[in-house]
Formats: sequence, structure tokens, C-alpha cells
Amino acid sequence: MQNSRISQNRRSLLLAAGASLAAPLAAHAQAGGEDIVLGGSIPMTGVFAFAGVGINAGISDYVKILNDGGGIKGRKVRYVPEDTGYKVDVSVAAYKKITSQNKVSLYYGDSTAFSKTINPELDRNGNILMAGASFATELNDPKKYPNQFLVGPDYTEMFGILLRHIAKEKPGAKVAFVYSDSEFGRDPVESSEALAKKLGLNVVIKIMTPPGSVDVSTEVIKLRRAAPDYTIFHGYILAPIPEFITQGKQQGMTSKWMGTFWTMDSSTVMKMGEAGDGFMGVMPYRYYYDTSAKAPMLDKIRQMRPEYQSTAYIQGFLAAMLFTEAAKRTLDAKKELNGKNLKAALNSIKDFDTGGLIGVPITIKGNSIPVGRVYKADMKAQKMVPASDWISL
Amino acid sequence: MRIGTLKESYIADAALFDSRTQKTWLGIAAVLLVLFPFVASDYWLYLACLVCINVASATGLNILTGYTGLVSLGQAAFMGLGAYTVAIMQLRLGTPFLLNILAGGCVAMLGGLIVGIPSLRVKGLYLAIATIAASFITHFIFANTSFTGGTGGLTVPPASAFGVLLDTSFRLYWVIVPVTVLMLLGAANLFRTRVGRAFIAIRDRDISAEVLGIPLLRYKLLSFGLSSFYAGVAGGLWAYFFRVVTPESFPLLMSIFFLAAIIVGGMGTILGGILGAVFMTMVPELLKLVFDLLPNSTELTVFLSPVRTIIFGLLIIGFLVFEPHGLAEMWRRIRRFFHLWPFRN
Amino acid sequence: MDWAYLFEISLTGIAGGGLYALAALAFVMVYKATRVVNIAIGEMLMAGAYLFFTFASMLALPIWLAIPAAVLGAGVLGAVIERTMIRPLLGEPPISVFMVTVGLASVLVGLVEMIWTADQRRLPDFMPTQAIMVGDAFLAPKIFWGAVIAVVFIAAVLLVFRFWRGGVALRATASDQAAAYSMGINVPRVFSLAWVVSAMLAALSGIIVGSIGGISSTMGVFGLSVLVVVIVGGLDSVLGALVGGLFIGLVEALAGAYLGGEYKLLATFIVLVVILMIRPYGLFGTHEIERL
Repeated sequence: MQNSRISQNRRSLLLAAGASLAAPLAAHAQAGGEDIVLGGSIPMTGVFAFAGVGINAGISDYVKILNDGGGIKGRKVRYVPEDTGYKVDVSVAAYKKITSQNKVSLYYGDSTAFSKTINPELDRNGNILMAGASFATELNDPKKYPNQFLVGPDYTEMFGILLRHIAKEKPGAKVAFVYSDSEFGRDPVESSEALAKKLGLNVVIKIMTPPGSVDVSTEVIKLRRAAPDYTIFHGYILAPIPEFITQGKQQGMTSKWMGTFWTMDSSTVMKMGEAGDGFMGVMPYRYYYDTSAKAPMLDKIRQMRPEYQSTAYIQGFLAAMLFTEAAKRTLDAKKELNGKNLKAALNSIKDFDTGGLIGVPITIKGNSIPVGRVYKADMKAQKMVPASDWISL
Repeated sequence: MRIGTLKESYIADAALFDSRTQKTWLGIAAVLLVLFPFVASDYWLYLACLVCINVASATGLNILTGYTGLVSLGQAAFMGLGAYTVAIMQLRLGTPFLLNILAGGCVAMLGGLIVGIPSLRVKGLYLAIATIAASFITHFIFANTSFTGGTGGLTVPPASAFGVLLDTSFRLYWVIVPVTVLMLLGAANLFRTRVGRAFIAIRDRDISAEVLGIPLLRYKLLSFGLSSFYAGVAGGLWAYFFRVVTPESFPLLMSIFFLAAIIVGGMGTILGGILGAVFMTMVPELLKLVFDLLPNSTELTVFLSPVRTIIFGLLIIGFLVFEPHGLAEMWRRIRRFFHLWPFRN
Repeated sequence: MDWAYLFEISLTGIAGGGLYALAALAFVMVYKATRVVNIAIGEMLMAGAYLFFTFASMLALPIWLAIPAAVLGAGVLGAVIERTMIRPLLGEPPISVFMVTVGLASVLVGLVEMIWTADQRRLPDFMPTQAIMVGDAFLAPKIFWGAVIAVVFIAAVLLVFRFWRGGVALRATASDQAAAYSMGINVPRVFSLAWVVSAMLAALSGIIVGSIGGISSTMGVFGLSVLVVVIVGGLDSVLGALVGGLFIGLVEALAGAYLGGEYKLLATFIVLVVILMIRPYGLFGTHEIERL
């Protein structure tokens, strides 16, 4: 009896000591206080650096605009980014660091791999709504990824927009898919092939290129022999698309060339030079220099940043806009800022005007925003011009 | 100053920890290890677990490269084998985690034995290049078979022990640290045995070793097997820690990281493996801290990743040129200073 | 069996192999003279390509000035590397020097990322764009001209090694340093020369490879295929670099055409393993006899 009492005292003493040590750490975490924290694993260096720098600028700018206007119901938004170099373990480490030092409600992830890795952690944490640079089809599953969303259509939906455009322009056309051997590249291929068949299109060949491959001549030969009317590239940023197009044209191919989101930034396409003239693709946003319709947010961006901003910038900007809109609606409904409520608030977004960043008002029913437009590259004007109307899937 | 370290029996001479000061320090270290998770933040716990996983794998590589002299650039591939085994077993069979980790180690060991077979035919750099080939072949298998989840990889449900889910760094600490300590003790003891001495003989001059009666192929394969077992266990712990395994998780760069770790730490010593792994894991974190403290930190973050790469390369080159025996040698020098004080060397 | 297709693929593959051969030549140059396995050969290739990019695009020099400038710059880089990293490790086991080159690769990648950022870029076009037709088979002009340049240089190096005093000195230093010293050959200078020439060849190779596929900080992965080429051909054989390069180019093209893009690297490495098992010193390499 005596022993257990003494050990009880000792135990409670230890607990008290431990708690007193932990208290300052916990207090530090709450020091954020009223601020709503938007954490970010941003690929500011590494292979995705051009996008990461743009995303970072986009998010910071929107947060600044919001805070200058009084924040969300008087509460300021604090953006806490960390550079990840597009590496998954660095990304996870950044997430753990930011979430252990702040009470995070919103988080931006840098890649498909990270979004998938962190999902169980996210579900366990339960307080965070996450979006990111990935448009992977797998993430577009509200049951498996209840705390995440995509800032645009998923890659299969992008393919869908392109395929529908092709089917309208040339029914029964021959289509080729050229994609990279990575998760990013393989993601939409299977489902898009099925969709193409449904639309009556003929997928004549699927070519996968190894990452970092220099010489694609054998692939071009295969492509030429399949003689497609349209070739869709996916899973690349720039290389090896210009080489494919140049060699293809040299060999007499008459195919039209198309790409998906990350290839369609204006500055990237312009780098293709002569080969890129007429290059088409899906872009869910308006380009920086687009003045075709009223776009108050684009005007504001042009005011804040006089030099060209990439589509990655607009993606980050829009992500911040949707994040904070979800937070605002949650607080308006007097609900707690946790993952479930934020997601529900996000899904309540119907016919929302993005200030002209996306050409039509958007509704977020599930995890993605299935809206986009086909653009074409005009090398002479050094601009991307619209080649279709805004398509909502 | 160290006095009175006279040994009177062979067993005492071959003991791992021989002086009283060493034993007290070890005791203090053990206590600190036990207290650490209660006072550390989540981030430091995360780092601690990562460091231990790296220590385990680096020790395995040290057995192969530091003690047996067989340069291998395939350590990450063996970790991958272990990680995927654990992932598949936990995901599809739900077997207890200790069994999974053991199985991971065994599968990796098999891989190591297969890769070790050319080691009788080829030596030195040719062997290193063969291990690069092994690395690519395993990457191909991971990425292109649906059994291993293809390029998407596999998500691993958390391990559970006595009904408690091991899903936080705090809880995993209590699995990772003891396993690592066990493996370290195992490796240290290995080099007191005949097998360990055979490894060292092979490193020093394998033809002479053969002349002395050490069957080369058997011991080289054993070395490969042991080191890949260590890698497999480390990979299994990795799988439970990160809970997603993809083919990109174990690139060639990771093998280079481990090789760098044992070079920096000191090849051929257990302490070298520990110091090297700790150092190489902590350097990027320290770098980030330094960058955060600089003025203009937001503009300079663009340079963090390239600077990290450069420092990584410079560390390898620097240690090879100036201190080929690594941090362990520096540590030994400091210890010798204290042993001989107040006398000079 | 579509023979025309096979012919076309094989032609492209062999010509592409010419690029490998040029880079392999740079590797063999260093190994022949100094017995160092330079795994940073891919990164030195990248450095040369980026230097060319700087001179041709950023400083807008004319092409006929930019190429020699880039090559010379790479030569300087080679000399610096040799002096600071390789010379101090002269007596050390070959594994140490190998690891130094591993570290060097990281340093080069980091420097490139810091100075030019990790974005992918394109080099200005400077090769004739007329498609080459062999019968019905089409050959991309860049590949063709790249292969031609490679063959020219390999032939030149073969002749140099045979007939020029410097070439003979290189071979002498490789086979026995002490004897070379006693014959009055300035061994340190030979080492420097070997590294400088190797860097210049790598730069040339990098310019051609870069003009085909663009440049990026991950270009160095080309070096892994080059490693396979030199193992197949023999680490110290110039002719082996050519034959190995053409062979690996062919294997990759066939694997990519008939099996699929993801099998290219796998096929290459399987060839590597097979060669290591049956002829570890490569097709033309010298058999090393280990003495106690």
C-alpha cells in the first residue's frame, strides 16, 4: 500500500515536470492566436522551381490583398511557406515542422506524391483543408481524399476537354498519346483512352518516354508510322515536346499538337520557338495578358505585378482565393475551422465568380473544378489565343 | 587521463565497452534516449526517427563497404525491397509489424545475395557499377508491376502494437530506436567474431585471405546478405514511418547519400556509421536554420536547395581529401587527447 | 517483320550511339591516363552545355565563337578539378577517387542550379535542318551530324594516341607511373592534359546532346548510360568507346521501339550485367592482372 502511494506521488511529480516542460512548447504553438494559418510545401527550387516561385508569389499576393481588406471577419491570414525542392521527404518534413509550430487550417502541397503521402496524416489531424499543385485523377475522389481538392480539372478531365474538342472538330480522328514515365505522366492515360473510345475517336498509339530521355528519335519514328491527326502530350513541362514536333514536322507529319496544364504556360510554350506555332492545350484560367472580358482580379494582378506572371502564379492565387473563401463561409456559419467543415464550405461554392481568373462562374461539387478552355499558341503575337469556348464538364 | 586499463583475460580484452567512464556515458545516453520523446516537439521526434533509420541503413552499408571493402551503390534498392515487402504484407495480409519488418529484412537479404553473386567475378569499381544496375532493375520492377502498385506506389496502414496504432512519431520512436540499437549492437559484436574478422581480411587483401583459407564467395555473399538485411529492416521502418512507398522513394541518390554518410563518418567503424548518418541527416536542417536567420531570407530560399547539393558534394570531397578516416577519426583524436591529458600525444 | 521499320530504327539507334561514343571517349581519356573512373562525366557534359548556353544565348555571341569559348571554358574547369580534387588523392585506393567524382557530380549540379536555376532550357539551333534520307528511312539531322562529329573526333584521338608523343606519353603514364617518371615524362602535366582534353570532349558532347533534348540540371543522368558503354567497350579502350557506344545506342533504340519507352534503361543495364558476367573487362579492355 505504502509503495504504490509513494510511486503515485513520484508519478504525478514526473507528469507535472513533463507538463511544465511541454507547456512552453504548447503555448508557443498557440502564439499564432487569432491568425488563420495557410501553410505551404512549395517547390521553390528543383525541377518544378519555375512553378513553385510563381505559386509562392500568387499565394502571397492574394493573402496580402485579403489582409489589406481586413482579413476574414477581422482575422488575418498568415502564409507560412517552406521550400521543398519537389522532394517528397523534404515536403513531409516541412509539413511536420509547420504543423508542429502553428495551428494550421489550410495547406498547399507541392506534388501528387506528397498529397498522397500526407493524406493519412491529414485525416488524422482533421483540422486542415489541403490543395496543391497536383491535378492527379486519383486525388479527385472525395471518399478517399476527403480533406483535399484540386484547383482546376483533373488530368483526365483535361484530356476529356481536349478529346471533346477533337471529336467536334474532326469526328473519328486518330489520336496519339505521348506521356512521360512518371506518376504525373501515367495518371490520366488509361481513363482517357476509354473516354476517347466512347467519343468515337481512335487512339492509334500510346508512347511512353523515360524520364530525362534525350534522344526521342525512335519514338518519333513510331509516332510518324501511326500517322495520328492529333497528338496529346502529358507529363512534361517542356522537353521533349519541341524535339518531337520538330522531328515530326521534318518527317512530314501533319498531326496537330496538344498539351495539358503544366505545358501550357505562355512563357514555356514560347520557348518552343518555331515548333510551337499552333500548339494547343487546355488551360482552366485566363492568361495574364488576357483582356478579352471583364476580369477585376486580373486587373488587380496586373497592377500589383507589371511583368508577366505565369499560370502557376494564377494557380496559387486562385488556390488562396478558394481556401480563404471556404474559411470565410465556415466562419459565417459559426462553425469551427476544421477539415470537415472547411470542405463542406468549399463544396457549397456554387456559381462563384473568381473575379475573371476563370472565364465562367464555378461550382465545386466534388474535389475538382472541371472547367477549361482550349487555347492555341500564336508565335507571331507571342501569345496564347482561345480556340474554343469555356467548357464545363 | 586513462590509467589502469590492464586486461587480464581474452574476454575482457575483446569486450565492447571496457572502461568505467565509457559505461557511465553509455548509461547517461540511454537515459537521455528514454527521456527525449517526452520533451521534444513533433518535429524533433520526426528527425530522431529519420536519423535512426539512416543509422541502421548506414551501418548495414558499413558492414559491406567499410569492413568488407565491397563498394555498393545499391543500398537504397535493398531498402526499397524491405519497404515494399512491409507495405505489401501490412496492406494485404495485416500481419504483425515485427513479422513484417523481419520479412522485409529477409527479402532484402535475398536480393543482396543475388546481387552479390557477380562479386567473385568482378571487383572494386566494376562491382559498384553492377550494384547501380541492380538499383535500376529493382526500380523498374517496382514501377511496372501492378503487384507493387506501379508508379503510384502503395499506402501503408499504420502498424499496431497491443491495439495502439503507431501513427505518430512519438509512438514510432519506441519501435525505431530499440530496433536500431539492437542492430548496432549486433554489428559491433559481429566484428568480434570469426565472420567479422574474415570480412576485414577480405577488405585488406582478398587474395591473401583466400590463401589463408577463407572461402571468398561464401563470405562475400554473407556480407552482401547481412548488409542488405540491415537495409531491408531500415526500409521496413521507413515504410511504417512515411506510410507511402513509391518507386521514386529509393533513388540512386539515396544510395549515394548512404555511401557519403559512411565516408564522412568513417568507414570501418560502427561509430563512424552512427556519426556519419547523424551528420548527413542534420546538415540540411542546420542549413535551413542558417538560411532562416539570414536577412532577406525569403529571396534567398531559392538558393537553399542548390546550396544543399553543393555542400553535400563538398563534404564528400572535403572529407576524402583532408580526413579520409572521417568523423570517427576526429572523435578518436579528441578521446585520445582526454585519455592522455595532462600529457601530450 | 517490317524490315523497313527495323532498318529505320536501327539507323537512328546507331547514329544516336555516336553521341554516347563521344561522351564515352571523354571518359576513356581520363581512365586511360589516370586510372580514375569519372562518374561525373554526365555532369561535366552538362557544364559544357550550360557554358555554351551562356555564351550563345545569354551573351549572344555568334555560334562559331560560342562553341570554342564553351569548350575552352570546360577545359579550364577540367584543369581546376584535376588540380584540386584528383591530384591530392594520387596514391589513394581507386574507391576514394571514385567517391570524389561522385561528390564532384553533386557540386556541379548544385552550381548549375544556383547560377542558371533548375528550369529546362533550349539551346539555339546551329546544325543544318535538312532531313537525311537513306532510301526510305528517315534520320534526324541533329543525330546524324552529332554522330559524324563523334566519329571524326574518335578517329582523331585514335591517331593521336598512336602517333603523337603526347599520346604515347599518356599511354606510358597509364601503364606505369614510376617508369614514366624515370623516362623523363612530366607525369603531373600529363594528368592535367588528360583531364583538360576529357572535359573539352565532354563539353562538345554536351553541346550536341543539349541541342537535341534541351538542357536542364538533371542532364547528368546521361552519364549512367555512358558508364554502361565504357564497361561494354572496355574502360581504357578508345575503339571500345566507339563500338560500345554504337552497340548500346542500337540496343536502346530496339528496346524502345519494340518493347516500350520504359524498357530502354532496363535493357541497357541488363546488357551491363551480362557483360560483367561473361567479359568483365569489356570487349576491348585490357585484362587487369592482380598481383600480391
